[in-house]
Amino acid sequence: MTGVLDRVRGVQLSGLATVAMLVVAVAVNASLQPNFWDSYALTSNFATFVPLVAIAVGQTIVVLSGGLDLSLGAQVTLASVVAVRIVDGSLDRYPLAVAAALGVGLACGALNGLVVALLRLQPIVATFATSFVYSGLALVVLPTPGGSVPFEVTTAYRDSVLGVPVALLLIVALALLWLVLRRHRVMRHVYAVGGDADAAYASLVPVARTRVWAYVLGGLFAALSALAILANTGSGDPFVGNELTLASVAAVVIGGTALAGGRGGAGGSVIGAIVLALVANIIFFADVPTDYRQLVNGAVIILALALAGIPALQKRRAA
Amino acid sequence: MVLMPRPSRGWRAGAVAGTVVLLLAACSSDDGDGGGNGGGGGGDQPYTIGLSNGFVGSEWRTQMVDGLEAAFAEYEEEGIVDELVVESADTDVNGQIQQIRNLINRGVDAIIVNPNSETALDAVFREATGQGIEVFAIDQAVTSEDVTNVVIDQAEWARISAEWLAAQVGEGGNVVVVNGIAGHPANEMRWGAAEEVFTAAGVNVLTVADGNWDQATGQQVMTNLLATYPDVDGVWTQDGMAEGVFRAVDAAGRIGQITISGEARVGFMRLWNDARANGFQSIGVVNPPGGAVSALHMAVNVLDGQEFASGSIDGNTVTVPIPYTVDETTFDQYWGEAGGESDAYSLDGSLTRDEAAEFFE
Repeated sequence: MTGVLDRVRGVQLSGLATVAMLVVAVAVNASLQPNFWDSYALTSNFATFVPLVAIAVGQTIVVLSGGLDLSLGAQVTLASVVAVRIVDGSLDRYPLAVAAALGVGLACGALNGLVVALLRLQPIVATFATSFVYSGLALVVLPTPGGSVPFEVTTAYRDSVLGVPVALLLIVALALLWLVLRRHRVMRHVYAVGGDADAAYASLVPVARTRVWAYVLGGLFAALSALAILANTGSGDPFVGNELTLASVAAVVIGGTALAGGRGGAGGSVIGAIVLALVANIIFFADVPTDYRQLVNGAVIILALALAGIPALQKRRAA
Repeated sequence: MVLMPRPSRGWRAGAVAGTVVLLLAACSSDDGDGGGNGGGGGGDQPYTIGLSNGFVGSEWRTQMVDGLEAAFAEYEEEGIVDELVVESADTDVNGQIQQIRNLINRGVDAIIVNPNSETALDAVFREATGQGIEVFAIDQAVTSEDVTNVVIDQAEWARISAEWLAAQVGEGGNVVVVNGIAGHPANEMRWGAAEEVFTAAGVNVLTVADGNWDQATGQQVMTNLLATYPDVDGVWTQDGMAEGVFRAVDAAGRIGQITISGEARVGFMRLWNDARANGFQSIGVVNPPGGAVSALHMAVNVLDGQEFASGSIDGNTVTVPIPYTVDETTFDQYWGEAGGESDAYSLDGSLTRDEAAEFFE
């Protein structure tokens, strides 16, 4: 019984650690950047957060199922170039482009899920391989940067409603989508399979199908990330999402989700993604010379990952 | 064992608390003083200037940043400007959008940008001008009308060396071409102009290959071309590859027979200098990293409230003249000035403050 209590406390602790990191990051950023609370600074910051937040939610679902998707960034790229080729500056075709992006995300996720769940390849290797397929396809679809997103979409993305940036509303919408999903049977199965696949199997949870679902949902959020990127940049680029993959894994870990699967949630990952983006801001406003920024950025992320891991460490000692 | 290892309430509380903090933060923004000291108009000296550069892999870009810093220091001594915020890193379009947002949030008065894309930064440029910031694109013009392009005429740049080469090989002469990257806007503009020159002069272009603006690639491509086309009289190439092309022609032992259009960089000029004794001639048109300095002069004038004279701006593009060309008659002079620099150094030039002022009413 005490073991259970410790466990619960451990999860709470890691949630607290994530929120604490967010508070510290906001405080440091605000102190270094005098106009941090101005409407433009807030709007532009949130506009930067959305793509990473979306992909981090997707990665969380895959990780919770006991997997890892290293092709999510490539899926973002592929979905975004397909959408930009279809929309090509016309607002009329935007709904079609959104549907196509979502379709691409779901299809990529389904392929990953089939490879991992049915062929039983190691998720890291399998999704690393499919990432080349997806980024290769992206290059075929859009060989050089170009295309344009309707002016209305890029403008709306930067707008605010009653003083609240649209991008923030999008982040809230992503979080709500996660909360809805979490109540669904599929996500309960995902937690069960990620926690202990054999026990889940014994309890009549359809393990293979659940794994496929996790990757499909990951692809769905990758597509949402792609749409956010397009609204942010206003143009297509065949390499645009690739850097997001590892950032999404870092956001998941900072958010307190266990890479072993089964424990955690996307709420923490949302905050983790925001912390990651704020760290990049802080480094700029702290006047770190450009040559050193990557180095400092990496060091701070290691620190954040370590802080996110401390509660888990304490929990193990207690047990 | 009773509880499923599911996220606990603490989680949800944490996530909700974080969201609420951010929401409150967002809503309080309207009470702000609308900050940012970017609000246009003349004479709010000293000015803060931002530089956004999305590629650091070449000496040319390093020179660009160094030159800007030196010119900035002069203005700083006079109290006209106070801070230069440099955002320079290898990045993609997304990263450059972030660079520009950082500069906007830093409250700069003007941004000088060497853009990674002709079109993909338009939205963020509008954010900048919406905050009252003047934006100047250098090296590569952008499509956004919110931005003032301060660039050299790439077509004119190519025409000078193409005309020289056409005169050297004469009507009916055979040339091969080593271009930069097909599809790149600067490459298309340059090659479009050079091709016209060759057609008009009756010069046969045997083939066009890409050398990626890279010396090693240029050398390899030229070696292949020499093997494929034995009857070549000349080769037209862009900057960043002429040294490689020279080495390929030299390795084939054909320096005396094949005319090479060169570049105004020290590495190539060193080879040129050594080969001059054997009658080798070439040409190097300067593609100046100092474009950033010219843009700085323009930015200060615009921030002072000056208007561009109607004849000096075409749409939103200001064409700055090509500083000078290195050829047989001027070689000694420029080699004397630049010979001590490293091989990667590009001969440079920029508008003086007085010359820049002449672009304004």
